[in-house]
Amino acid sequence: MKRILTAILAIAIAAGLDAQTKKEVSDTDKNLINAALKGWHIRLSAGYNIGGTAPLPMPREIRGIESYNPGLNLSIEGTVEKMFGKGNWGMRWGVRLETKGMTTKAETKNYHMEAWNTDGSGQVIGAFTGKVKTDVNNTYLTLPVLAVYRINERWNISAGAYASYLLDGEFTGTAYDGYIRDQNPTGEYTDVTRAEYDFSEDIRKFNWGLQAGVEYKAYKHLALFANLQWSMNGIFPSDYGSVTFTLYPIYGTLGFTYLF
Amino acid sequence: MTRNGITTFLFIAVTAIFTSCIREEAPNAECDIIAVKESWLQENSSFLSGKPIISNNAVRLYVKEGTSIDFLKSLEPEFELTYGAQIAKNNIEENGGRGVKMSYTTTSEDGAWSKNYEVTFTIQSVIETGKPFSFEHFRFQRYHTWYEIDASGTELNWWASGNAGFAFTGKKPFPTAVDSTGVSGNCIKLTTCDTGSFGNMAGMPIAAGNIFLGEFKSASAMKKPLEATRFGLPIIPAEPTRLRGFYKYTAGEIFTDKGKNPVENKKDTCSIYSVVYEINPNDFVSLDGANVLSSDRIVLVAQLENPGEPTEWTEFDIPYKNANGKIFDLEKLQRGEYAITVVASSSKEGAFFEGAVGSTLYVDEIEIIWNNK
Repeated sequence: MKRILTAILAIAIAAGLDAQTKKEVSDTDKNLINAALKGWHIRLSAGYNIGGTAPLPMPREIRGIESYNPGLNLSIEGTVEKMFGKGNWGMRWGVRLETKGMTTKAETKNYHMEAWNTDGSGQVIGAFTGKVKTDVNNTYLTLPVLAVYRINERWNISAGAYASYLLDGEFTGTAYDGYIRDQNPTGEYTDVTRAEYDFSEDIRKFNWGLQAGVEYKAYKHLALFANLQWSMNGIFPSDYGSVTFTLYPIYGTLGFTYLF
Repeated sequence: MTRNGITTFLFIAVTAIFTSCIREEAPNAECDIIAVKESWLQENSSFLSGKPIISNNAVRLYVKEGTSIDFLKSLEPEFELTYGAQIAKNNIEENGGRGVKMSYTTTSEDGAWSKNYEVTFTIQSVIETGKPFSFEHFRFQRYHTWYEIDASGTELNWWASGNAGFAFTGKKPFPTAVDSTGVSGNCIKLTTCDTGSFGNMAGMPIAAGNIFLGEFKSASAMKKPLEATRFGLPIIPAEPTRLRGFYKYTAGEIFTDKGKNPVENKKDTCSIYSVVYEINPNDFVSLDGANVLSSDRIVLVAQLENPGEPTEWTEFDIPYKNANGKIFDLEKLQRGEYAITVVASSSKEGAFFEGAVGSTLYVDEIEIIWNNK
């Protein structure tokens, strides 16, 4: 999925540069100018997502973060903006293809875990103390709807909500260098060298949240932006036993927008 | 700032945000007896025999012949506990004529968890001659555990199985269980089981049913499974000559390797054997899954050859044979330099996670015949 995003991004940049160099006033350009005069703007953005799929607040079972790698999470977005009348207010909505991922290594103490055997024959329940490596790599098709306020010619801010549909989900982990106790902290003890798990199949298809951002128009056709996406629902169902804390994708995006 | 610089800055910023969210550590939830205090063991070394055996709910201490029961009742053993845990003694009772049982409750630092421990002091016995192991004495708490009762009425926790390790899989039924269709009364039913998601996660796709004289150390069950089965106890009364008993066996349909891949044309088979080996009585190191049939400390071995698949109770009567060119020495026996184990498993290669799910072995009335000279 990352490769696809990279390819789309490359094409988008190439197309943008191409449009700039030709400087021909084609029919398309005329249409764009007419649209702009009526307050409609078409925009194409590319960005880099950085953040975490993390519990909030951090549970006390997590004793430390050993390492964090945000990975390469790209975002490509097409939006339409409509400014109302001659005022500074407008709306922006569109469609975005993006990846939200990370790799973390954390230390846990007495972390409660549950997992159903795949054949339904019983449930693994235990308390794990040790290290946990988590890999998240989720690709979403996202629909943002934002209110826009233009501060001046250069700056505008936006805020609103987004809804995401999971196209491809990956949530895998390794528990290592620790021990597990059967059922609860008083249970039978066994050392754990390495145990791998994959909860990719259980990731929720739908994710939604709030989004806010700021944009700086550096050139006539190019703006730089930063925004924050704060998820309001967890990536697993709320009664999901295997991951007992709710994990919220919270990501910031940095990127640029080509303004047609 | 260069682009690389910005990226590095962002990584650090996000990591810092995560790290700053780490909350104060919760008090301990565990409440284990980790050890009997070394100083207490030193002070009482005059009557203690061997090292204490500590499991999740019991502490077993052995004492020398001639120690009085009243004296044992007066003991106040001292324990090392999980940091912050508390311990309270509930009561003391006699365990037949050769031991005492004390019951303790430990409570965790956070006060949310507690568990009961049985602390026993037992005068070490040897296997009673002329009496088979009938497997009629057992307890059930999630899974079965077996014990023997000697002539004085003292309970002896000699039998072990891998059930405590299988418990982690969350699956039922357990590989080692009681069955009521014994040759006489109950017998032991050993079944090779699938270990489900947990077993796969740990690279241990099957668990053979096993029962043996010794200790199962569940702490090693996942990390070093061969070391979890500690075969053998220093409970030999004389030189063993024959291993007798009854069994029936059905092999499971599909034999799989340790990756759970089917192996064609391979049939599972069970194993029943007994081993006598040399020990240092002051520093007892048992044989385990890696060397129970190969150690150069082995003196005698009795092993059921070609068990086949009898569907009805079938008697076996196999001789102990000398191994490693060693002869059983009565003087060594007097000095307590031998240990013995008896092992039965529903899959011969079960220790290496090879076998067929569904293989079922029943064993009952296992008896060791001793040389009375």
